Formats: sequence, structure tokens, C-alpha cells
Amino acid sequence: MTTTPVSSRVHGPILFLAAVFLVVVMPALNCYGLIADFTLNLWGKYLCYGIMAVAIDLLWGYTGLLCLGQALFFSLGGYMMGMHLMLMIGKLGQYKSDLPDFMVFLGHSQLPGFWQPFYSFPFTLAMVFLVPGLLALVFGFLAFRSRIKGVYFSILTQALTYGAALLFFRNDLLVGGNNGFTDFRTLLGSDLRIATTQRWLYIATALLLVAVVAGCKWLTKSRFGLIQRAIRDSENRVLFSGYATANFKLFIFVASAMIAAAAGALYVPQVGIINPSEMTPEKSLEAVVWVALGGRGSLYGPVLGAVSVNALKSWASRAYPDMWLLILGGSFVLVVMFMPKGIIGIPAQIAGLAARLRRRRAEVAPDPAPATQMTDS
Amino acid sequence: MSAKPFLLAAEGLNKSFDGFQAINDLSFYLDEGELRTVIGPNGAGKTTFLDLITGRTAPDNGSLVWDDGKHDLLKLNEYEIYRLGIGRKFQTPTVYNDHSVTENLLLSLAGSRGIWHSLFGKITRDQCERVAEILTIINLTGHAHRKAGTLAHGQKQWLEIGMLLAQDARLLLVDEPAAGMTDEETHRTGELLLSLAGKHTIVVIEHDMAFVRQISRGRKVTVLHQGHVLCEGPVDQIQNDERVIEVYLGRKSKAA
Amino acid sequence: MFPPPVRRAALCASLLLQVGAVVVMWLSARAEAGPAVRETIAAAVTAATPDEQREMILSLKATPSPEVVSWLDKWKEGAIFIYQDDEGKATALLLTGSQDAADSYATLRLSDGAPMCAADGSPIRINPKAVDFADTDSGLRRAMKEVADLAALADADPDKRIRAIQDSAIGQNSDKLPALEAVRLLEKNPKALRALEESMAIIRLNSPEPEQRITACNTLGRLHSIAARDMIKSMATETDAATDKDTRTAANHALSAIDSHIATINALGTAFRGLSLGSVLLVVAIGLAITFGLMGIINMAHGELIAVGAYTTYIIQNVFAAGLKLSPFGVSISIPGLNLHSGGNLYFAVALPASFIAAALVGLLLERTVIRFLYRRPLESLLATWGISLVLQQLFRLIFGANNVQVTSPLWLSGNWTVNDVVFGWNRVFVIVFAAAIIAATWLVINKTPLGLLIRAVMQNRNMAACMGIRTERVNMMTFGFGCGLAGLAGAFLSQIGNVGPSLGQNYIVDAFMTVVVGGVGNILGTVISALGIGVADQTLQQYLGNPVTGKILVLAAIILFLQWRPAGLFVTRSRSLD
Repeated sequence: MTTTPVSSRVHGPILFLAAVFLVVVMPALNCYGLIADFTLNLWGKYLCYGIMAVAIDLLWGYTGLLCLGQALFFSLGGYMMGMHLMLMIGKLGQYKSDLPDFMVFLGHSQLPGFWQPFYSFPFTLAMVFLVPGLLALVFGFLAFRSRIKGVYFSILTQALTYGAALLFFRNDLLVGGNNGFTDFRTLLGSDLRIATTQRWLYIATALLLVAVVAGCKWLTKSRFGLIQRAIRDSENRVLFSGYATANFKLFIFVASAMIAAAAGALYVPQVGIINPSEMTPEKSLEAVVWVALGGRGSLYGPVLGAVSVNALKSWASRAYPDMWLLILGGSFVLVVMFMPKGIIGIPAQIAGLAARLRRRRAEVAPDPAPATQMTDS
Repeated sequence: MSAKPFLLAAEGLNKSFDGFQAINDLSFYLDEGELRTVIGPNGAGKTTFLDLITGRTAPDNGSLVWDDGKHDLLKLNEYEIYRLGIGRKFQTPTVYNDHSVTENLLLSLAGSRGIWHSLFGKITRDQCERVAEILTIINLTGHAHRKAGTLAHGQKQWLEIGMLLAQDARLLLVDEPAAGMTDEETHRTGELLLSLAGKHTIVVIEHDMAFVRQISRGRKVTVLHQGHVLCEGPVDQIQNDERVIEVYLGRKSKAA
Repeated sequence: MFPPPVRRAALCASLLLQVGAVVVMWLSARAEAGPAVRETIAAAVTAATPDEQREMILSLKATPSPEVVSWLDKWKEGAIFIYQDDEGKATALLLTGSQDAADSYATLRLSDGAPMCAADGSPIRINPKAVDFADTDSGLRRAMKEVADLAALADADPDKRIRAIQDSAIGQNSDKLPALEAVRLLEKNPKALRALEESMAIIRLNSPEPEQRITACNTLGRLHSIAARDMIKSMATETDAATDKDTRTAANHALSAIDSHIATINALGTAFRGLSLGSVLLVVAIGLAITFGLMGIINMAHGELIAVGAYTTYIIQNVFAAGLKLSPFGVSISIPGLNLHSGGNLYFAVALPASFIAAALVGLLLERTVIRFLYRRPLESLLATWGISLVLQQLFRLIFGANNVQVTSPLWLSGNWTVNDVVFGWNRVFVIVFAAAIIAATWLVINKTPLGLLIRAVMQNRNMAACMGIRTERVNMMTFGFGCGLAGLAGAFLSQIGNVGPSLGQNYIVDAFMTVVVGGVGNILGTVISALGIGVADQTLQQYLGNPVTGKILVLAAIILFLQWRPAGLFVTRSRSLD
């Protein structure tokens, strides 16, 4: 009964091929030396960002909640993983101590209690989901209960992120202060500094991305997805149709936080560092840019946006370090103003424009519809 | 006072917005199965009254009970009130613009409103048939897959009424169903409401006196003025009431 | 008679007589103050033994004038040189004139200020590296200090006098009491009198007689002397509880009086700091209260408009001084300066309107090119303006450099005003006054001008206003420009109390939005109250936690909880529309 957007039916096989390419072909090429280790690592990073972008889109594009706290959940996931990785360094650190270096530096002689269980990888994995999930649950409960939405929700999540970043910058939180965690050695017994481990991490990231996109696809196709979009378009109506919208929003908010956290947990061992500058509101906004640029309200758009913006960033920040921010900021303004559906929406926009031209030529329709309404043509 | 229990009883309701007394000591009783029309000039508090019933706004004081006092509506929030079987059509048609007509109805069908069900529940054959049935009633079968946002104003009104039908509510609160409709459409809407009258309890808020006459047919009409019930009775009696004429013709009104 | 300092000095001296100083010396010194002082010091410099030197310096206690102190300071600094002639006679010399080829200087005799000549009448030049300078040892320095302390008690500047009086209590040396007592008879300044009373009481805390100590305690308690707190405490613990119960009671009374005074001061100080922090928030948020609150535009570039104002102030300052060189995009631009001497204080008066106009112009540009297309899409306007903020920040970096630029604030801003031990820094007072002025101006514009009337009409009901023939587009433009101009003013203001750099605005944007949200969107009074409330809450938490960051985090948490209670902020603008 649900309508399927034409685009996704047409692009189905292409998307499948893209998934195979990312998960199988890229690592294989790397195995045979056709893709440099550095490049593969870079792509691993991009794909982590892609997962975070999907998480943002799930909230923003599908539910109408522009959350500026996704970088916080991403980094929290990263921090959880980072704590495990820090403990795995063991005596290989600079101070040859069982304690992480920064603790020795701060004069601690004992591992704080809350660090202890992070020796266990399964526990760490659980925390990657639980900590950000719980934070999202509590914050979301408070925010949605008092019907905070729209820009107020954005501003509040921005403040949450800002507050958390301030907190993590402090040394007495015992998570490394402004230096964060770095200098990791092993994960599950494999050396993080060798290409094979990084390749497996890349594969895990690509698999997670495919799983997240598939999962979200299923979610948005379900009745839940219908309600989600209904909330986006007219929350009051949904409320007066008997749905406890706050619960639905809370569910999707927590799910999105956990997805972002999982991406963060995979990001940290690949990039080799995590610090509080990753969880600032600006990072969240940057991630929102990827989504807007790729095309919100679709599941591939955000991935496309995340990968392309970051690839552009890698190139431009090296080639034109002074101009990079001008390019990013400027292109962002242009996208918001002229491409409300992002890259994904370009074909539809062109088709819409063409249709408009045709109509004008035929002088049939006196009032051309604005471009924003030409979605599935 | 009839021996029959009230479906909805409002007593001594007051509500003011920044000093403006929108609802003023309002008492209102509704029997099961009634089709009640509420009329009143602009600012009489008609829409605010519906807001109070559906939990959109909380009154400053007063009581509002449902189903012979079984539930205190003032303690419940919007969706809980809805789940008691109180459905509402808004003054301006409020449908899910980005969803198809069918999807709009599907979302409104009676049934579980839980997250789990929304994720894993299947759409049953019965539900499909019910949707098809409603589509016929509201005359939108041909537009089943169109986006609701692209419908004409009158069609949206019908769709919203259809959504009320889908929900199978005990009480339908219909706010200005005929606004923006052609005479023919208005008439059809009236027919539709009349056909529902036996099965559901209905409160209709309306301006259009022709429409009111069409649907009330000797049933009770309530006139609201300045947040207060001015008088109640059959439409003919109402139209000859001194106070009503004064209010409607805008002669010198009582102290504001 | 004599001018006051001299009289004061005379009195000190007369007092010294009672403690055993030589009256003759004082009389002779008084007769011919200048040369006698120089001679005494010259003699002291060349005296044979350290003991003699000490004695001669101490003799100066009879005439504790600023001149004595200045000569003694010269001595300590090593600016007095000892010249030995062929016969081995030592003379104290001062250097004068400029260095010549042989690194030597002309000389003056310390004793009378005449040029020093050799036997043949030729002036003596000495190389400071080649001759000895008059040295001091710790004994001498102590003696010099005694003289200087006494001189300070007689200083003409009341602030210096008060400081000297307060210093004299350090060490609780009862030897200093007579001098203080004597000064008190002459002192007219109430603050100095209070300081005298306090210092003397502190010294008397150390007295062997219990009555003295009790009186001292009572006095200090009455004076709420914070300086005496620790000394009363230690005195109370040292006294024998059994035998000297009264002293202990008096001490405890005094302590509790002082402690409650300290609590009051802290509370007042916190309130004051909170008020000034609130005022900063207010100034930063007031523009936002207009663009976001009234117009509903989420302008993430608001912070950068503040920076525009701050940089404008920077440019104006430099134009009033020596000019400015900028090199954006490799193009070098040189702005000539007016080299005004009084520019230091004058420039701010020009910078204020200039920064308002500059930011308003940038705002108008943004409104025309971007924001007007996004009036109905608040989330999109958030994103687009964030893009603009990135661009502006980078432009600041390219034009003004990535580092902070220097904006000097007028000197008077660094002073303070102490009332009853509560310190009111002028910069904070300035902050509060400025905020009040901006609020008053905004209120006037909104409520008393035709523009304000239009703004209110359009913001309440855009469509209706349009129907009434109001050119809503223009009003939007003007309103946005006005809000941005206020941001510019905030920038000029922030440049006076903090650093000016490319990310200036970023430091305030989150706080500014929170302030407006808490106050209730669309309500300027709400913004005022919320800014002051957040400021005071922040400072109070800081006071109790002793940690600014934790305080800030708690304030953010409190705001989130506050919005549970009042989701629409302090002041709700009620509306009857559906969404």
C-alpha cells in the first residue's frame, strides 16, 4: 500500500553494486596494493561520517528534528572505545605504567573505578551503545515531554553539546582533558598500526554502513516511518490521531544516538585519536551540512554528502588552506538556498525545471509550482 | 436532566488568554448518540471549547468528565483523550500533506498506537477493506494514491472527516466542516454527517446557517456567546430568540 | 604655618622625642629641610662603619619626608656613587648629563647638588663601571624601610597613606603604636582614620594586657575588619581558655561579626558580578532577541556580526592613532591615522555608532541576499547563516590575521570603587551602564518610534500588516538591520572588556541563544530578566563550586530543567493558531 519513490526502484541495483564495491571490492583492491593503505583508511573515516550522517537524517530528514548533538553521541561512542583502547596500551605507554599515560601525568597511582570494566571488550561494546543511548533517553525524555521542537530543539541540543564539550575539556573528569586519548596500540589483540587490522576495521565500517542504511530503509518503509514523517509534517495532527508522539520521537532519537555512537566507536581506532574538539556544536553543524548537501529525507544522500564533502575537505584544505572555509561555508549557503533536496534531488530538480519550461512554452499552467514541491517526478 | 447518562459533561469551565476571557463559566452536556450543532459569532469561544475537550489547552478551572464521569478529561493529555474515542476535525483542514490519501487513512485507523506495533504490525485485509470503504464514503477513491497536500480544499476537508471515520470514534468534534466548500459539497458533507448521526455522537461547529438547518433538523442547537452558553434549543426557536438576534445583528453588546 | 605634610612630619617627629629621639636634630632638620637631608645622606653614604651609617639613617626619622625616601631609594638602587680623591677622601656623587665616548658622566655632589670638581677646578667625570656605588646591607635596608614607612604615614596622597597605615599593622609590632597614635591626632580623612583605628587595634591584639586585647577585639568586630580575622583567630587560640575567658568571648564575638560581614560582601560581590555577567549576556543577546525573538530568524552568524562591531572598533581606534596596515588576500591596504593625542578616550564615542552601522550594513546585505528567502524556513535559515558565519570567520582571519588584535580600553576602566569592602570594578560598572543604555535605546526604538510601530505590527501579523499597506519587506529588512546593529554595538562593547579575534562571536552564541529561549521568544523584557538571572545564577554557582566550568555546565542543565517547567520561556506569547 505504501508508495515507493520511483528513484529507489530504479537505483536499487546500482545501490547494491555500490554496497558490494564498498564492502568487498575496495578492501580486495587494497589487498593487492591497488588502493593505498592511506586511501582505504581515509575512506574508512568517510564512511564513519556517512553513518553519522544517516543518523542525523533519520532525525532531521524523516522526523523533522534538527539535532545539533549528534557529534556528542558520535564522540561519546568514540570515547567509550577509546577507554578500552587506552587500557589495551598497557605498559607500552611512555611511562611504562598500567595506567594510561595522562593519568600518570596527572599523578594518579590507581585506575579509577569507572575505568576498570573497560578492560573487557564486550563491556566496552555495550557501553558504546548504552552511554549515548541513555543520555539521549534522558535528554529526549525531558525535551519531548515539554514539547520542545523545531529550532528550540536545535538550540537546546547545541547547548547540550557545548556543555558536554566543556565538561570533557576538564582534566578531573579523568578522560584525558583536552588531549583526549591517542597513541593506541592494539584492538582485540591485533596491532592497530598494521594495514591488515585497518583493512578489517574498514570492512567493519562499510558493513555497518550497509546495515544501517538497510535498517533505516526498513524502518522508514514501516508504519513507523509513516508516523515519523507525519510527525515531521504535522505533529499536532499525529497527537490528535492518538499517537504518543513524544515516545516515537524518543525512540528515534535514541536509535539515532546509538547509530552515531557506533560510528564513533569505529572511527576512533581508524583515526587513532579522540578528543573533546570532536564533540563541539560546530562538528554537529558540519555533519548537518553533509546531510543537507547530500539530500535529506533520503538515505543515500547523507552518505553521498558525507563522503563528498570530506573528500573535498581533504583536497581543499591541502590545496587551498585559506579558502577552504570560504568554500565550505559558501557552498552551504548556496545548497540551502538553491538545492533544498541536495545532490540527490538534482535530477528531480532538473526534471522539474524542464517540466516548467515545457509548460511555459505550451502556455498551459498559469502558476508554476515552486521547485520544492517537485519531489518524485 | 435526563435519566440517560451524559457522554460528556462540562461544568463551570473558565479559560482566559492574557486577560481575554475566551470561555466564561461554560456548562455543556451531551448525550450519547446526539448530533449537536454549536453556533456563535466570532470569538464566542467555539474553537477554544473544542481545545479544552481535546486537551489542547487546559482550563483555568471547571470540570470536564467523559462517559458518565468515568474519566476526568482534564487529567489526560491529547492522545489519551483521543484513545477514549474523541476525534476531532480541525477548522483548517489538517492532513498529512506529504502522505498519500490512503496513508492518511491508514494512520488514522483504529488499532494499536504503540511503537512496537508500528514497527512490526502488518496491514490486515480488514484494514484495507475498511480504507476502501471510507474512500468510497468520502468520494476520494479516484485519488487514493495522490498526495494529500495536492488535494483541493474541500477534498482535504473530506479526507479529514474520513480520518475521523477511520478512527471509529464515539464522539466526533467537527469544526467548520463546510468552510471553503461549494454549495453542493456543503450539502454532501451535511448528508455525510447525518448518515453518521446514529452511530456516533457528533458535535458540529458551524457558521453557515443553511448548513446548520440542514443537519440540525429539529435537534438541539447551542449558541455560544462570549464564552458562555447563550441559549439552547431547536434551530427555529434559536433564530427567533431575542438575545441571539441581538448578538448576531451586532446591536449593542453587553459589557465586554 | 606649614603645609600639611610637613606638619604631619613634624608631629611624627615630636612624638619621636617622647620615645627618645634627639630634639635638637629635629629642630635643625626642620630649619633647613632640603640641604640638611642631602647632607645627612651624603654623610651616611661615606660614613666609616655600617653602625654609623645606620644611626645616621635612623636620624632621618625625625624628618620623614618624601624627599628623604627618594634619596634613600636612589641609594638602594645603586645610583649614588662614591668618589675617592687622591687623598682618600670619599665624596657621595650623583651622575648627570649624558654618556661620553669614555662611557663617563658628569657628576654632582650629593650633599649640595653642586658640580664636583677636582682640585684644579676641572669637572670630574666618572665611569659608573669604574667606581664603587654606595652599597647597602640588610641592616641598612631595614633602617631605610623604617624611615620610609614613617614617611608614608605622612604622605600627601590619602590612598598611599591608608596603605601605609594598613601595612604598619603587619607584624603587630607595638613599637609602631606611638607613631600611629600621633598621626591619628592630625588625620582628617575618614577612611584613613578608620584604617588607623583598625591597624592600632590589630597591633593591640598582641598586647600583654587582657583589657587592651578585649578592646581591640571589640573595635575590630565593630569595624568588620577582614584583615584582622586571622589574627583574632590565632590570638583566641593562643589565650588560655581558663584564665582569659573574657578575651576569648570578645574574640569570638568579633569573629562572628567579621564572618557575617564577609558573607554579606561575598553575596553582594556575587550579585554584582552576576549582574555584570548578565549585562554582558544581555548586550550580546539583545540583538538576537530582535532577529530571533521577534522575527524568528535563527541567525547563527549573529556572533560574527558582534565580531564585525569589535573589528570596527579596532579600526577606528587605529585610525585615531597611528593608522593601520591590513593585507587581505595578499593585497596590502594602508589606512592612514589621524594621530590624535586625545584619541585614546575619544575614539570610543566614534566607534560606537560606527560599529552599529558596520554591523547593520553587513546584516542588511545578508538579509537581502540570503535571509529574506528563508523567512518561512527557520531550520534552513539556521544552516545558511551558519555557512555565512564560517565565511565571515575566515574573512576575519584573512583580513585581520588569525590572532587576537589589540584594542586598548580607556585607562579609567581598570580602576575600581570600593564601598564597605565590596569592590566595584569600573569595567563591570561600565558593563552594567552600557547594558542599561542599550536596553533603554532598544525600548525607545521599539515603543516610541514609527519604525518600532511598524516592527510590532509586522511581527504580530505579517499578512494583516501587508494588507494595511505596510511594506513588510522593508520592515523586515530594517528590523533585521537594527538587530544586527545591536550586535555590532555588543562587539564594540566586548572589545573593551576582552579579546578581539576571529572566533569572538563563537564564544557567546550558545549563551545568547539560551538567554533568548529562556526569556521567552518575542519578549524583550523576558530577555532582560533571563540574562540577568542566568548571570547571577552562574556567578552564584561559581562562588559555591569555586569552578567556572562546572558552574556553566550546571547553568545549562538548569536551563534545560527550567524549560520543563516553562517550555515557552519566562514570558509566553500566547497564540491561538494551531501550530
